[in-house]
Amino acid sequence: MAGLTLKNVFKRYENSGKKKNRQQNDYAVKDLNLVCEQGEFVAFLGPSGCGKTTTLRMIAGLEDITKGEIYIGDRLVNHLHPKDRNIGLAFEDYAMYPPLDVYGNVAFNLRAKGVDKGEIDRRVREIAPLMQIDDILDKMPVKLSGGQKQRVNIARAIIREPELLLMDEPLSHLDGKARQSMRVEIKRLINKIKCTTVYVTHDQLEAMSLADKIAIINFGVLQQFGTPAEVYDDPVNEFVASFIGEPPMNILETTIIKEDGTFFFTFANSNLKIAVPGRYYGVVSDGFRCKMGVRPMDVLVGGDGSKGTPEEIATFENLGDERRIGIRVGDMLLMLITEDEKRYRSGDIIKLEVREEKTHLFDIETGNRIRELA
Amino acid sequence: MARIQLENVKKSFGRVQALNGIDIDVKDKEFFVLFGPAGAGKTTILNCIAGISLPEEGVIRFNDEIVNLVDPAHRNVAMVFENYALYPQMTVYDNMAAALRSNLYKTDEATIKEKVHAAARMMKMENLLERLPSQLSNGQKQRVAMGRALVRTPNVFLMDEPLAHLDAKLRNAMRTELKEMQANLGSTCIYVTHDFMEAMALGDRIAIINQGEIVQIGSGDEIYYMPCNEFVAQLMGDPQINIIPGRIKEEKGNCEFCFEAGGQKIAVPMPEDRELFEKIRRTGLQNADMGLRPQNVKYSFAPEKGYFRTTVYSYESIGNKSVIQADCGDYQLRMIAPNGLKIQIDQDIYVQLEVDHSMFFDQQTKEYVSRYDEASIKAFAAEQEVR
Repeated sequence: MAGLTLKNVFKRYENSGKKKNRQQNDYAVKDLNLVCEQGEFVAFLGPSGCGKTTTLRMIAGLEDITKGEIYIGDRLVNHLHPKDRNIGLAFEDYAMYPPLDVYGNVAFNLRAKGVDKGEIDRRVREIAPLMQIDDILDKMPVKLSGGQKQRVNIARAIIREPELLLMDEPLSHLDGKARQSMRVEIKRLINKIKCTTVYVTHDQLEAMSLADKIAIINFGVLQQFGTPAEVYDDPVNEFVASFIGEPPMNILETTIIKEDGTFFFTFANSNLKIAVPGRYYGVVSDGFRCKMGVRPMDVLVGGDGSKGTPEEIATFENLGDERRIGIRVGDMLLMLITEDEKRYRSGDIIKLEVREEKTHLFDIETGNRIRELA
Repeated sequence: MARIQLENVKKSFGRVQALNGIDIDVKDKEFFVLFGPAGAGKTTILNCIAGISLPEEGVIRFNDEIVNLVDPAHRNVAMVFENYALYPQMTVYDNMAAALRSNLYKTDEATIKEKVHAAARMMKMENLLERLPSQLSNGQKQRVAMGRALVRTPNVFLMDEPLAHLDAKLRNAMRTELKEMQANLGSTCIYVTHDFMEAMALGDRIAIINQGEIVQIGSGDEIYYMPCNEFVAQLMGDPQINIIPGRIKEEKGNCEFCFEAGGQKIAVPMPEDRELFEKIRRTGLQNADMGLRPQNVKYSFAPEKGYFRTTVYSYESIGNKSVIQADCGDYQLRMIAPNGLKIQIDQDIYVQLEVDHSMFFDQQTKEYVSRYDEASIKAFAAEQEVR
């Protein structure tokens, strides 16, 4: 069963901008279609202003839907009041009731609904250890750390046993370490309560590590919807390829040439030459211009007998756990990551090898993936 | 160009002792990083060097000359701030030229033009010179702020978290660019950061600061492989180093490391390392914390010899690789794994520690005692410094 369905959803802010500026880009969300399965954890990922929070707010009922249909389970919710949609909400800022202690905050919604006292107590006691807030139930919000506040906030959202849990950047207020441990806790929690969850973030790492599926959105348009492995290994366009992964995929403009029946990627002002994988032979030609993408993990430093291209190191960064090497290709920097213990200096020459089969081709104009012929 | 020395510098704000006797000796043309958590006193040190703050005790020297009483304008330092501090009404060109047009550094326009263009070329922003700050992205603004420092030939560049405002991707890209420029700076640079990757990548040497005191000074490799205590070990590296409390048991010249993992008592034999064993004997180390980096913990999903059984606490991607946390009761063991494994939370996992990559800390004081291959790591670090 589907947990959440979006059908051709549009959103336009009527008063946004001056009239003459409102031409084609006036939709905050454009023709969004998405089906989340029951119990699935879906991340909405994109840069700020891409429409991900707007979409979340439309699902929650905090924002009107300009066009299209939203279903939670089998129910069309377009015209339902937020309180009747049976959803749990956890936002970036915690919005707690300062005069109530943690217990009071967590219990608030149930009290408002008129659930009887014994039942409320049972549910709070059940959820508190899950969120690790059992020892702070009598504390006031001002006494809590950011991480604790967010735990209370999430506890409050899930205590109503919602059909759908919506979270908007719940970790972005926390510092690095707290964020990492909270990420782990959220993942364990969702795994336990098995509630369909939509999670909005601009942090690709958070999306990659938490979600079963990621919806990548840019300029209000869904770019790709797939598992973390799919969007990482098989991006549909240049935007997705460069948004997912850190350091991002190397994307270089290239001209393909043919020598003795073999196609090579060549680059302006560089002697680097990389063989084009055979599967692309049906779509490329001599002099074909496009962009080549390859992840920093798929660029290697060749050993002694390597047939790789000799290249000069422009930058060498020792990061302890790994080392990053940058090579100038024209005016672009080609990055590679190695766990090799060897230390280099800029100016050193290495043999550069590229895992050719891992290269992707992108259209220069549209940025779309150029795929091999089926 | 200058050698910068701080001797026993103390500074307090009211009752708070911000700096508690800081000694640093930054060599001429060195890229020196001050690294530590928020509130450690890093920025205060920078402000003392710039002359914005006056220390209550201690001496600051530029090229052996005491500058305590020299006002900031005459110390000839160039500062780059986290929040750029650009003049909003001036173009990028004028922002960069501003210092050279001041009474103090009065320069003729032709020279200014030359210097601004040279700095702009270095920062790759020649196409931005006519823009106003409001028309720039954050990354570009930071470039202008740095370019503005570069037009002068200061004694020292002071950089206060210049990349902290940028998002993760841009920060990494800018760090790489800064690294590329570093060789061309030709000047002493003191760089404040709380990001260990910036510290490792940029610093010729790193000073670790905590609670107003210097904890350790050394090259990135020295600090990464031989941290002076558990605090420093945990600062360097992401995911964090594993700290496993246990006991070293010696019998007939052989050592074993005994620890608990989720109720099981485990003893792993320690491979022979004469120097390490000697040091353990000499210091009488028994209750020890073993420090082991996540890349040195191995796992398997079937029982294997030398592996112990535990359960998966979490599995998450951190970009190019993933981290598995295994539940060991009081603590979790972090280990590196590839992306895309089919792992269920709470399923069984078998774990082995590569003891021959471990370091040891005193359980009481949390101070570093020794580690495997210490001599060769020291030699390796020294060799890097010579190059």
